Formats: sequence, C-alpha cells, structure tokens
Amino acid sequence: MIGIFGAGVVGSRVAETLSFDSIRSVLVFDSSQVVAQRLARRLLQTNSSIRAVNLGELQNAKVVVLAGPSPHAQIAREFLEKNVSVVSTSDDIADCLNLLTLSELAVKNNATLIVGAASSPGMSGLLVRNMSKSFDNIDEVHVALHGTGGPACARQHHRALSGQSIGWHDGEWLRRPAGSGRELCWFPEPVGAYDCYRGELPDPLLIKRAFPELSRVSARVSATRRDRVFSRMPMLIPPQAEGGMGGLRVEVRGTRNGERIVDVVGVAERVGQVAGAVSGCMAQAISVGEISRTGAFVAGEIALPNETIFGRVLACGVQAHSFVRA
Amino acid sequence: MKFIRRALLALSVASAVAGVLRFKGKGVGAIKQGGWRKITDPK
Repeated sequence: MIGIFGAGVVGSRVAETLSFDSIRSVLVFDSSQVVAQRLARRLLQTNSSIRAVNLGELQNAKVVVLAGPSPHAQIAREFLEKNVSVVSTSDDIADCLNLLTLSELAVKNNATLIVGAASSPGMSGLLVRNMSKSFDNIDEVHVALHGTGGPACARQHHRALSGQSIGWHDGEWLRRPAGSGRELCWFPEPVGAYDCYRGELPDPLLIKRAFPELSRVSARVSATRRDRVFSRMPMLIPPQAEGGMGGLRVEVRGTRNGERIVDVVGVAERVGQVAGAVSGCMAQAISVGEISRTGAFVAGEIALPNETIFGRVLACGVQAHSFVRA
Repeated sequence: MKFIRRALLALSVASAVAGVLRFKGKGVGAIKQGGWRKITDPK
C-alpha cells in the first residue's frame, strides 16, 4: 500500500504513475479533502484501489510520498516513528539537511527514507549515476534546471534566487550569492537555451553525498531579468497552477581511457511530471522490496537500484536526451 | 544648468547605444553543431 501526502501537481503525477500498476492500493491525503477526493475519482477508472483518506489512515501505508510544500522533516519524522517509509520531494536545502538527520530514526524503526526524490534533486542523481557508467571516473557534475512544477515549487524557485547558493569546489563548500554566475545552458528541444544562475538548491549537497568522489558540483536555475530583480521581494503575482515545459540539464566531466571527457544529458518535460515519476518509482521500489535497506538515501546513491528506477521513469514517458557532438 | 544638460546628453547617448545592442544584437539561435539523441531504457 502506497500513500500520497498532498494532491497538488506533483501528488497527482505520483498517483498517475502508480495507477499504471492497477493492483497496487493507493491512498491519497490532502489538507483539502475535496482535492484528494477529486483526484481519486479521476483515477478510479485506471486504478480501482485508489481512495482519498484522512491523515490517520495514511499511516497504514507501507510507504508515503510527501508531495506537498516543504518543510517535510516534521511530517517525515511522524511517519518514520510509525514504521512507515518516506519518499520526500522537498527541494529546500534546510529541509533536506533536516531530513538527512532522520537517518538513525529510520534505521531504528526499520524504515527507508528517500530525500530529494523529485526533478532536481532526484532525476539529476539518477542521470549522473546512469552517465557515470560510461566514464572510468567522474570528478565534476554541473546541474541546471528550467521551469517549475506547482505553485509551491514556483515559490521555492523564487526563494532560491535570493538566498545563498552552495557548491562543492576542490574540497570545500563554496557559498555564493544566488542570482550570480550567469551561464548560458542548452536544454533539449523544445526548451532551448536559457541563462542560468546560481541558486539556493540542494542538488550539490545530495549529489556529493551520492558521489563522494566528485571534486566539483554546482547547480544553477534559469531566470529572467525580472526574476532576479524581484527575487528579494515577496511574490507580488500569484504563481500559475502549473509551470509550462521545463528542462533539466546535467553535465558530467571525468576521464575515459585516460582522456578528459564531458557528457551532457537533458530532459525536456514538465517539472511536476518528472518529480511525480521519480518519486512514484522510488515509492514503488520500496513497496515491492527492491529497496530493502533502512536509513536515509538520496537518488543515485550506490545502495539504491538506480538502473531499475531510471528505466521505470523512462517507461513513465519521461524522455532523457544525450547531447551528441557533430 | 550646463551640468544637467551634459548628464541628459550622456544618458540619452547611453540609452540609444543600449537600445541598438538590445534590439540589433544577435540572439541565441538553434544549436549549429551536434544535437540531442534520445536515451533508451538502460536495460
């Protein structure tokens, strides 16, 4: 039994991903019961065992996907204490750090906690693990993200441009003002090229945890001039219900046969769709026992069946593209 | 008065140059070398 906490853009995509397997029972909870019931009713034709539940019933699930706005740490703690495994889609640095501290609690309660199972972080870690197979060793990873999922994701994107970015650089964590370090990044079509800037993103933190051998990790987010100017002010215009076509670009540098190699892989898809597919596939892997180890993990970590999860994410319709030089 | 006139002249010249660069500058087009290839299931 898999539970979904939050029936917004990402929660809906998680439910859709899990509904492909009609045998699995899916429980949906949202602070607005009407929203959860509407989602359950919409997917009832593809999965007859999906239903809207209250928070108490959600604790009967084997694994719960936290698909609501961050912070997730307190909710995750409550589920872990009830021996329920948790998949978090949080993309907030402080929240991800707090979630990682729950590793011991997860082990004690024989549960698994996946931190940052979304698009970036999440899909980025899976892509790096998949790309690393074609290298002898990797030493640099640079991630760029374009677009947002639901309104909570848009607010997080807004905050990410006004804080402090972190990046791993030759053995130390570098802090730089978010919104600096412009770089033109090419995403797969139809997204194309966007100026990307350093952002307060948890990607470097989680990717470095999954790949301790890396000497440089950075994360950037696309932004317009208006985004950067108004990032230090509250969001004056309410965000849209869902962002448009998004993109994820992962650049990996390393060596192969003694030569310096740079590989670029990208995804062009709605950010909420990618996040839903990744977190849904992670929950599925825990539910069927493919992830049986207890403790806190991040996408791409060697202890996880990354290849199986990545294959499932692609089967959900998320298309990854590799850049090929002429 | 002379200073204000000079400042206004400098401002208008700067905005004219910025405008020319903004609207006549080369935009980013499509990738001219290489392209994207779909990744299939690793299995």
